[in-house]
Amino acid sequence: MNARSQLFELTVEGRQADEAVASIFHTVLFHRSLGKFLYSNESSYSVSSVGFTDVDCDFIDLTYVCCSSNTLNRQVKQEISNFSEQLRSNESSGVGQITLEFFQRKPGRYLFLQPDCIPWEVWTVRLQLISLENEGERQLCRERVGDHLTEKILYITEVMNRQDYIPKMPSRSEVDLVFDTSFPDVQPYLFKLNSSISGPSSGTSVGSTMRKFIKESLNL
Amino acid sequence: MKRDLKMRLSKTDKKELDKFTKFLALKATEVIVQSRIGEKVTTPCKSHSSGPDWFNLNISDLPEVVIEAKKVLNSDLLLSKKFPFCIEISLRTAEGDNMVLETWCAQLLNEQCDPNNANGQTIYNRMGILLKSLVSVTRVTPAYKLSRRQGPDSYVICYRMYMDEPLHHCLGEGFKQIRVGQICTAIGTLQLSCAYRTKMTISPTQTSRDNSILLKSDHFNTNLSPKIRRYSQSDDRPSSLSETMKIGAFADRKMKHFEEPQLVDMPFCTFFADKLSLHESEPQSLATSPDNDRLNGDNMEQLTNDDVNEDDDTQNVEKNGNVSTQPDVSMVSTGDDFIMVDLKTPFAKPPGEKFELTKFFREWQQAPSLETFKDVPPVDATDLQKQLETFESDLNEFDSIVQTLCQNSPNNN
Repeated sequence: MNARSQLFELTVEGRQADEAVASIFHTVLFHRSLGKFLYSNESSYSVSSVGFTDVDCDFIDLTYVCCSSNTLNRQVKQEISNFSEQLRSNESSGVGQITLEFFQRKPGRYLFLQPDCIPWEVWTVRLQLISLENEGERQLCRERVGDHLTEKILYITEVMNRQDYIPKMPSRSEVDLVFDTSFPDVQPYLFKLNSSISGPSSGTSVGSTMRKFIKESLNL
Repeated sequence: MKRDLKMRLSKTDKKELDKFTKFLALKATEVIVQSRIGEKVTTPCKSHSSGPDWFNLNISDLPEVVIEAKKVLNSDLLLSKKFPFCIEISLRTAEGDNMVLETWCAQLLNEQCDPNNANGQTIYNRMGILLKSLVSVTRVTPAYKLSRRQGPDSYVICYRMYMDEPLHHCLGEGFKQIRVGQICTAIGTLQLSCAYRTKMTISPTQTSRDNSILLKSDHFNTNLSPKIRRYSQSDDRPSSLSETMKIGAFADRKMKHFEEPQLVDMPFCTFFADKLSLHESEPQSLATSPDNDRLNGDNMEQLTNDDVNEDDDTQNVEKNGNVSTQPDVSMVSTGDDFIMVDLKTPFAKPPGEKFELTKFFREWQQAPSLETFKDVPPVDATDLQKQLETFESDLNEFDSIVQTLCQNSPNNN
């Protein structure tokens, strides 16, 4: 199975990097998070409600929406901060990318093997940093990046409403193969964040897909 | 179409779809309206114990919006021709100008349908995603930024709902359309879209058009809306002016009683007397002279109310610059087919209403005189009187001078 892949390329000032990535990833995660499941038996369950919060950007003319989950937001923020710090460091070329990858696990066929992680949707944000001379340019950049992110958010909603593949709702025993149940208030589909700084990398998703491909071929 | 529906959907499926659609429209309305309140929205994630929410999304309900939405929405949405359902967001300036900013529209496109997609749970889940998309999209259209900046002194954001084709013509030239999302169902594609204005210039012709369907205005920040502000200003009691009136530092604190101007004792009384007599004797000499019979006779009451005569007097003083006892100024032609034109003082309130300016003027007339000027002897009225009398007696002499002047210059007509 090929994972759907979306790539967003943005040119931003260093201090806009965190917010630019956060606005895209939180919009995606908001769509890809459900309320916590409460199973009454193996196959039937009830779902709690997801709350949402408006976030005003400090360095971009934009307001985006994220899930009202501190734990989820803290985790995402930490990952984005790490990426941003590396990107803005002196060693960096000022170009880097961060991916949000949704995957599902398949139970390992052998006890000694880790369960396979099969990505089904990958969102990549590639950033190029620029430095600005004065406040006038900064103001223009605020608006420009805001407009670009608006386009991206509209595109995300378009993708989300396509009738594309989403993992099926799991039974109680398989819920951890589809959803990340570690958060107390929301239940996003299993996801992970990866970043690389020096230009486009091969990406974990491709690697894991290849690994899975080889393994499945051998098992056949 | 109805026959097709029956073929494709069982009764329960159709009922379920109708119910989902109705709640989708209700929740969508809440999302859109609340995003235009001008404040950041935060709803917490809820646990199971607090009961389920529609589409597993915590969207708080504003009771007023629910009531208004339910008036417009009803059951059997999909079967009735009442879809599409539109929510119009508009801006109203403190001056009362209206401008439609965007129109959100939920509609069913009959041409695309997926007969296999009758699974209620799938549609329900997709509706949840569609609502999330709506939450995200409402934050990025131009109206969002405008709504965050609204205020009683500049403009407020209003909304209204209607069941009709979206009125895109009121969005001005170059409006943009975006699709929030769509859900393929067995009877067609349910689509949520938005059309928004891109040119934000208010033109005077863009006043409120068809408000007959449903207009909810001043919903946002009702306590601060400019309308209420304005009312509170005009609610000031008429007596406020006299209460707040400042008396000069050295002025006599006793309020001087206001007296109607007496023509007889005034220095120029003969001048006024002549003028008045001229009117009386030659009413037809002026094409638009006031018809004194109408003004001074019984008809006067028809033109003005008895109880506001005083107010009108002062209005006339202000307007004409001299003292006149005419209660209102009318122009009446003397012909048989005369047309009477009532001249109303510009910006004046119609007779019968107390006018603040009148009050002020009256206060001004009653202002106590400064103590400094108490000892200054008044202008000697008798001297003036004598002078005038002398001039009058020499009237013939003046006339003859004028005549000789006219004769000396034959060109002068």
